[in-house]
Amino acid sequence: MLSQRLLGRVAVRSAFKPSGVSSVVPASRWARTYASESEARDLVIIGGGVAGYVAAIKAGQEGMKVTCIEKRGTLGGTCLNVGCIPSKSLLNNSHLYHQILHDTKHRGIEVGDVKLNLAQLMKAKDTSVTGLTKGVEFLLKKNGVEYIKGTGSFQDEHTVKVELNDGGETSVTGKNILIATGSEVTPFPGLTIDEQTVISSTGAIALEKVPEKMIVIGGGIIGLEMASVWSRLGAQVTVVEYLDQIGGPGMDTEIAKSIQKILKKQGIIFKTGTKVVSGEKISSNEVKVEVDSAKGGKPETLDADVVLVAIGRRPYTGGLGLENIGLELDDRGRVIIDSEYRTKIPHIRCVGDVTFGPMLAHKAEEEAVAVVEYIKKGYGHVNYGCIPAVMYTFPEVAWVGQSEQDLKKAGIPYRVGTFPFSANSRAKTNLDTDGMVKMLADPETDRILGIHIIGPNAGEMIAEGTLALEYGASSEDIARTCHAHPTLAEAFKEAAMATHGKAIHY
Amino acid sequence: MASFATACRATARLAARRLQQDASARSFRTSAIALAAQNFSMPALSPTMTEGNIASWKVKEGEKFQAGDVLLEIETDKATMDVEAQEDGILMKITQGDGSKGVQVGSRIAVVAEEGDDISSLEIPEEKSEQPRKAAEAPQTQTPETTTPKAAPPTSSAPKAPVKPGHKTSNRTYPLYPSVAHLLKVNGLDTSVAKDITPTGPNGRLLKGDVLAYLGKIGSSAPADVSSRFEKASHLDLSNIKVAAPKPAPAGKAAKPAAAAPSPPPAKSTITLPISLTAVTEAQLKIKETLDVFVPLSTFVARASELANDGLPLPKDYKPSADELFDEILGLSAAKKSSKGHYVPQIGASIGAYSRPTQKRTEDVYDILCGTSKPQIARPITQTPATPAGPNLFSLNVPQGEQKRAQIFLERVRLVLENEPGRLVL
Repeated sequence: MLSQRLLGRVAVRSAFKPSGVSSVVPASRWARTYASESEARDLVIIGGGVAGYVAAIKAGQEGMKVTCIEKRGTLGGTCLNVGCIPSKSLLNNSHLYHQILHDTKHRGIEVGDVKLNLAQLMKAKDTSVTGLTKGVEFLLKKNGVEYIKGTGSFQDEHTVKVELNDGGETSVTGKNILIATGSEVTPFPGLTIDEQTVISSTGAIALEKVPEKMIVIGGGIIGLEMASVWSRLGAQVTVVEYLDQIGGPGMDTEIAKSIQKILKKQGIIFKTGTKVVSGEKISSNEVKVEVDSAKGGKPETLDADVVLVAIGRRPYTGGLGLENIGLELDDRGRVIIDSEYRTKIPHIRCVGDVTFGPMLAHKAEEEAVAVVEYIKKGYGHVNYGCIPAVMYTFPEVAWVGQSEQDLKKAGIPYRVGTFPFSANSRAKTNLDTDGMVKMLADPETDRILGIHIIGPNAGEMIAEGTLALEYGASSEDIARTCHAHPTLAEAFKEAAMATHGKAIHY
Repeated sequence: MASFATACRATARLAARRLQQDASARSFRTSAIALAAQNFSMPALSPTMTEGNIASWKVKEGEKFQAGDVLLEIETDKATMDVEAQEDGILMKITQGDGSKGVQVGSRIAVVAEEGDDISSLEIPEEKSEQPRKAAEAPQTQTPETTTPKAAPPTSSAPKAPVKPGHKTSNRTYPLYPSVAHLLKVNGLDTSVAKDITPTGPNGRLLKGDVLAYLGKIGSSAPADVSSRFEKASHLDLSNIKVAAPKPAPAGKAAKPAAAAPSPPPAKSTITLPISLTAVTEAQLKIKETLDVFVPLSTFVARASELANDGLPLPKDYKPSADELFDEILGLSAAKKSSKGHYVPQIGASIGAYSRPTQKRTEDVYDILCGTSKPQIARPITQTPATPAGPNLFSLNVPQGEQKRAQIFLERVRLVLENEPGRLVL
């Protein structure tokens, strides 16, 4: 009897579903739509990069109604899609490959036939990127952020018109609007980027074969990281840098010289103090680049099958319709803001690469949180004097605070303490002894002014330095803090000891 | 709105502060002469405010004011706010006049006396800075009075270093930096001395340099100098912005600020639907006749509800779970469009084995005697004509945003109960 009933009910249920639903409920009731156009959002964010998505999540957490507009189709901007993340995948895996090829033998590991499968290497990179961008999309959803895939442009001070990626157009009204459109590669005059032969960083993470010869124009962080990847995979790489030092102007000169020596040992050819006069694409796998000494007088022609243009990035405001609302840019194309990230129209704010300050993902992230706090609570803070920078070559280079040349130039007295990894027990056991920790402190108060590291995992180690700087610590404070043994971090502590006194192990 | 809230908070705070001052002052108050005038310090109008500008004083020197009078107007980076007097008094002296810029919170801006005091005989109290630790952060904007870093003893480095009077530091609740604790101990000082040392670190933290300056081992201004450099570096350099040459652009359209519609308070609403139970009663009878089993009406309703609860459209404010969201993004499942409901309908008219014809309820004698007779409850009017087993009102009390979902639920219940109730139990 009971089983009969159950059977009967199951039958009813299945019979009910297809017919019942459609007959009872008009189809339109099921459809989920975007928020109606007339409803003003608390915050409309143009750009779903690091600045944009972090602001969106933060604002969502603060209970605001947020819309985030991104035209790429995936979130995370340059950093996640074609910048920090994919390049780190390639750097990590190319380092493994290079190590197996050249380094493991004398460590007692003999590997037979080592073959590079570039397609698989790229696939591993893409998997990481996809996972992370989906993760960001998940976070937006979780925090109730409306995500529109399309290109946003200002229609008026409160309305952003969006051309949807899937076709069609919509518009969003916002009580507050945040410009977080980021930056793009600065092109080199005379060399048109085709991402095959003349490539930008975007092309450099997606080459289909390892070039035989590669020229990197610009010896900054992006240039050196990409140079490392392709040099490890077998290309002969020449880096041409206009300045006398590599690593960009922010890197401490002593550190820059030191890393240049290490990278040279790895096979990268450097031409510093050299300017690129012109470049010409001969065919799909041949480019010629005319270089000269920065001071002139030593012209030379370099040829390669791929040339990477890595001379920097510039703010990106194309198609944003800033002219429709009368917003001005400065002479370098940055959106002009005040200390609370407001443009001259107070409810329109701007953070990240598209405005002032270093073009770093973590700086954008800090600003994104601060700008939402300004909107919501009236106060936010970013300590611009305490933003670390990391170059992910091997060994890594990381720094925070001021460099020695900065201090010299400003006429500020300082005391230096250094400690080489060759005197560190863990580095010695790992057989990775290249590099050092260098600290700069005020000679009187001993307050730390800057920390510069070359070494394996320097990017992780700099976190301690950043914390010390944020808290106004003295080198003695670091030296009196216990560091585990045996670790690379002990070198950090010893450098602190060397700054105000003497290191034990050196 | 926000500024109103902060204003309220500020007033409350001011009141509290004045109360405190008063409490201590009152104890002296045996005669008017003994009472010194009080310092009126820059109030913090928001939790984050560190300094402000004085727009204008609304009360002149020597004038009386009453509680609630606006004393002055303060400009912060966010807003201009009025500062009201918390009690009656006389404005004895204004030390920071109209237009003073960057006045630190806690620094003296005026001297006030109590009503009835003879101003000429009153002594102007010494300024006691409540915010010495702010000094390092913005030394250039402050009055010389408060900025002067404590004079370090230029003499021997002996730990008998004098404590500069008048410099208070707040009670620290975090542990001392290792270098600070060490330096104090090495110099034979107790760590409690730390509270007498002017800190220059971030958020008023006491640094090694501060102790060294205190001990006279380095220049007294060295820590503050370093701190001011850090303070400068902590901000984006927005000076010397060169505006790009303007391109000929169409004139910007006039702004049209979107007025925020006042949001209605979240309320529950009731959805009702008349449902005829005739078919159910018939089915009930039929089952009784054929199977000799009596199925109560409530069973029919419960089963119908269960069916109708299946796959209801999502409420407007539906929050999907983390797993659902992630699956959806990864394309493992389409966006969830429906979910199981948990509605239990309230049935208006009586529900029993046999529906009673509607009739006027006769009053109970007991109620009449007790005087508790209730007025007749007016039944909601239903559109369908009343039949002996007339339609019953099924209702649901649901939160805002779920009306559509509830409506669909009730429509489904009706569909099942009115058309084929027999299948619910067979």
